[in-house]
Amino acid sequence: MKKRLFSIAYMFFITLCFTAVVSGVKVLNDERIENNQKAKLQRIILSVLQIPGSNDPSDDKVNQLFETRIKSIQVEGTTLYLGYAEDAKTILGYAFPIGGPGFWGPISGMVGVDSEASKLLGIAFYKHSETPGLGGRITEDWFKDQFKGLPIFPIEAGKKIFYLKPEGTGEAPNELDAITGATGTSRSVEGFLNSELDRYLRTVWKSLKKG
Amino acid sequence: MPKPPKNIEIFKAGLWKDNPVLRQILGICSTLAVTNLMVNTLVMNAGLIFTLSMSSLTVSLLRTYTPLRIRMMVQTLIIASYVIIVDIVIKAYLPSISEALGPYVGLIITNCIIMGRCEAFARNNPPLASFLDGIAVAIGYALVLMAIALVREPLGFGTLLGFRIMPDGFTPWTVMIMAPGAFFMLGLYVWIIRAFFPQTQEIQNQVK
Repeated sequence: MKKRLFSIAYMFFITLCFTAVVSGVKVLNDERIENNQKAKLQRIILSVLQIPGSNDPSDDKVNQLFETRIKSIQVEGTTLYLGYAEDAKTILGYAFPIGGPGFWGPISGMVGVDSEASKLLGIAFYKHSETPGLGGRITEDWFKDQFKGLPIFPIEAGKKIFYLKPEGTGEAPNELDAITGATGTSRSVEGFLNSELDRYLRTVWKSLKKG
Repeated sequence: MPKPPKNIEIFKAGLWKDNPVLRQILGICSTLAVTNLMVNTLVMNAGLIFTLSMSSLTVSLLRTYTPLRIRMMVQTLIIASYVIIVDIVIKAYLPSISEALGPYVGLIITNCIIMGRCEAFARNNPPLASFLDGIAVAIGYALVLMAIALVREPLGFGTLLGFRIMPDGFTPWTVMIMAPGAFFMLGLYVWIIRAFFPQTQEIQNQVK
């Protein structure tokens, strides 16, 4: 009996010690981790709105740029990031988060749309668990750059805003290159990006225009 | 209590004679997962060297106090604590690598090598010897991972540590990036090592 009590007390005490140490380390680094994530999100938002300076290695500079050029508002449950030109008055475009199921796990990204909601400014992905070198190539420039300037419109009767076709076979301007060897990832990006853009145009953009 | 082995013997065993990956086939999941890029491999190795040496040291320090029946719980708790610390530090100071490694840092907890060393060595040996054993075995693991990454990254991406080393016309071998590529490489190494440098027991098995 005594032995058992000792075991329980011992386990309790040891757990307390180790949890305390781990919590300490966590608290010490919390701010830094949060800043890293914030800076990453800010960089992504600036980059999809094509505001130069998003690649600056200094987190502080990026933060400063973000504070002066970006404002966030809530519309229809979506966080919209308004990107302003250097005069701080003209709206360059809107960025909003997109995401959906990928091949291995959820994909989260950000997309930038121009101020008229007529074309894409840029897209970027900040969280995914696709295979590095295959589906993971959605974060590469050649893939993202294809979306720059893509015209967008509300989806009607089975037509999509864009299609991902096997590399080099796209003919129409809205037929973009899929990733070779990552059909699953390409298909899911095509799926959720089309439907999220459609949703933006139908609900968010409408209520934004109404004021 | 048996006399602890000499330090040089500990290193010989960890690096070569009882190499965790090649001889004991332990820690395979992480070996397959992180070796497609050298950078990821290096960070994973550093994480494992830290976790394994510190866990062994701690288990050894507590070995005379820990009741036998709850020792597994205590070991798991110790290992998990160190792994979470590693995870937090990588997230704070190397955010991009933390993303690339994804869940694998957290999964160091389930790396059989660590629990194996705690049970097989640290539990019965003094702190310093256990600490060195942890380092030796972790380096044995690290060397194999680096050897695999050294082949997979150049063939799969045409780069090494991010620098282009293959000629321009080189077509990357996609299979090398994926898990099968790691299986091929690992199998190849295990075969070479066991065929050309067999241990006594392996020789006996062959004779049979």
